[in-house]
Amino acid sequence: MLSNLLPLGTRDEFGRQAATKQQLISVIQAHFKQRGLAPIATPLLENQAVFDPYQMGNTQLYRLLDPEGQTLVLRPDMTLPIARFLSATKVPLPQKFSYVGDIFRVSRRLSGSYNQMTQAGVELIGYPSLKAELECLAIANQLSAELIDDEVEIELGDAQFVQQVVATLTADAAEQTAIKQALFNKQVPQYEALIAAYQDQALYPFLQQWPRLFGNPARIFKQLAAASLPTAVDNAIARLKTVVRWMQTTMPEQAVSIDLSSQAPQKYYTGLTFRGYSQAGAGYLFSGGRYDQLLANFQATSEPAVGMGLDLDLLTELALKQAVPTPRQLIYFRPAQWSQAERLLLKYQQASLSLADNVAAAKQEAAQMGATLIDLTEGDLDE
Amino acid sequence: MSEPRLKIALTKGRVETQVLPLLEQAGVDCSLVRHKQRRLIFDSTTQPYEFILAKGPDVTTFLERGAADIGIVGSDILVEHQSTQYELLDLGVGQCQFVLASTAAFDPQAPQRKIIGTKYPLITKRYFDRLGQDVEIIKIEGSVELAPLTGLADAIVDITETGTTIRENHLQIYDYLQPVSTRLVVNRLALKQHQTAIFSLVDQLAAVVNANAEKEVSQL
Repeated sequence: MLSNLLPLGTRDEFGRQAATKQQLISVIQAHFKQRGLAPIATPLLENQAVFDPYQMGNTQLYRLLDPEGQTLVLRPDMTLPIARFLSATKVPLPQKFSYVGDIFRVSRRLSGSYNQMTQAGVELIGYPSLKAELECLAIANQLSAELIDDEVEIELGDAQFVQQVVATLTADAAEQTAIKQALFNKQVPQYEALIAAYQDQALYPFLQQWPRLFGNPARIFKQLAAASLPTAVDNAIARLKTVVRWMQTTMPEQAVSIDLSSQAPQKYYTGLTFRGYSQAGAGYLFSGGRYDQLLANFQATSEPAVGMGLDLDLLTELALKQAVPTPRQLIYFRPAQWSQAERLLLKYQQASLSLADNVAAAKQEAAQMGATLIDLTEGDLDE
Repeated sequence: MSEPRLKIALTKGRVETQVLPLLEQAGVDCSLVRHKQRRLIFDSTTQPYEFILAKGPDVTTFLERGAADIGIVGSDILVEHQSTQYELLDLGVGQCQFVLASTAAFDPQAPQRKIIGTKYPLITKRYFDRLGQDVEIIKIEGSVELAPLTGLADAIVDITETGTTIRENHLQIYDYLQPVSTRLVVNRLALKQHQTAIFSLVDQLAAVVNANAEKEVSQL
């Protein structure tokens, strides 16, 4: 019988896990509201063409046909639908949006990964100023402190840096792609074989160190200063220095690092990128960056924008590990005592009403829940 | 903060036998693994390492899911399982080669849709895609040499170290595909979380691998 089996890569959420996730969502949404971000919700289903420009790397999509034979997909990303919305509605810019929702990506079969993920995020659209990146970093810093006990490290990068350097090595596009892929995937044996052709260039010592160009900002800036880099990267380096200085002044407790050897979190990023991780998590807690060209896929003119997404499933996993379960109460009462029971319900954080018809059933229910039974029918409890 | 403990997933069997001496030369105490009996997980009491012994494909799964920080596994498995983790070092052992092999009667140029038996369907597909040939692939779990001998397939794609098994089964090699060797692979986030400890181990191992290679050259 297959009627009660879940499709591969999906799961039900209930009990403590569902409650923790809901709690995180409400904290995050309250934070977004307090900052004046406008909530936006886009459909789970989109036309496949919305995601065509970026093909989402190797991501496999859930596809289905609408009654007219048009291919629809379950959205694999939250940013592209918002770009589609802005292009279609001509909402005046700038705008600050926030969202919470599920995305769907088909992972390798039987790999232990889930195909439905919950993300929360912000999109600041129509803002060319670096202040947009800084507001995202401020949100990341404040939410990390609010939601995670462990120290969270924010890693800064730049979406154009690698291409700008590789373009000075060779004009051959295939060779550029091969070097970038070997660098991004840190396939060091293959990367070393590819850069051997550039041994005579002044940039070669930098190329040798490049796969390890991540970590402490002071060390990275020192390495960059010593390298014969093309002038094309000057703006990116200056921007990174500005942001690091701002973080050290504005949020001195925040751990910060730089990575200039990795691929941007999404292909559509065009400028500063950032990600956050803790020592306990098995993935990035949040990632984001500037994407100034995204709207150009849907309309003639582009708009400057910065966005950031938080992985709510990973945040939930970490919160469950660090949370100390609070005691629960089950209130047993007669229908005539309903008002009294409601007052008690307000008094406790983790109480619920017993709908049992007799005290024996209520006791059994309390035992099953791991809750303490409060029996109003005995009249032995003083509110 | 206490020193981070690194979880190393090591492919059991031949890779394990070839890599343990390298780890020991690099200063890693492998005595628990050497005296493993039937255990599969070993937590060093003297060094910040925990070893897991697993089959090659499972090493890639442990790494992908973050259940291991470092994996030691053949490049054949990394390619076939489309590993997305960082491949930091070629350990220079377990060297062999992918080949296309079959009986003497096989004609690689024959105008027909060939049937190819293999343990590596992805690598096989990529090879024939490059040649512009559409082939039917049959996945075989072991003793791939049987496929052309029994008529199950026209030819096989498999790895060979010396070609002995192929010759002993009256097969011959028709083409050489990519070389294979044992690699040290690191989980993407683990490299950020334990940068110093991982690079320290990688550098020690790289020094051992280079010294061994130089020694081999000088003995030629």
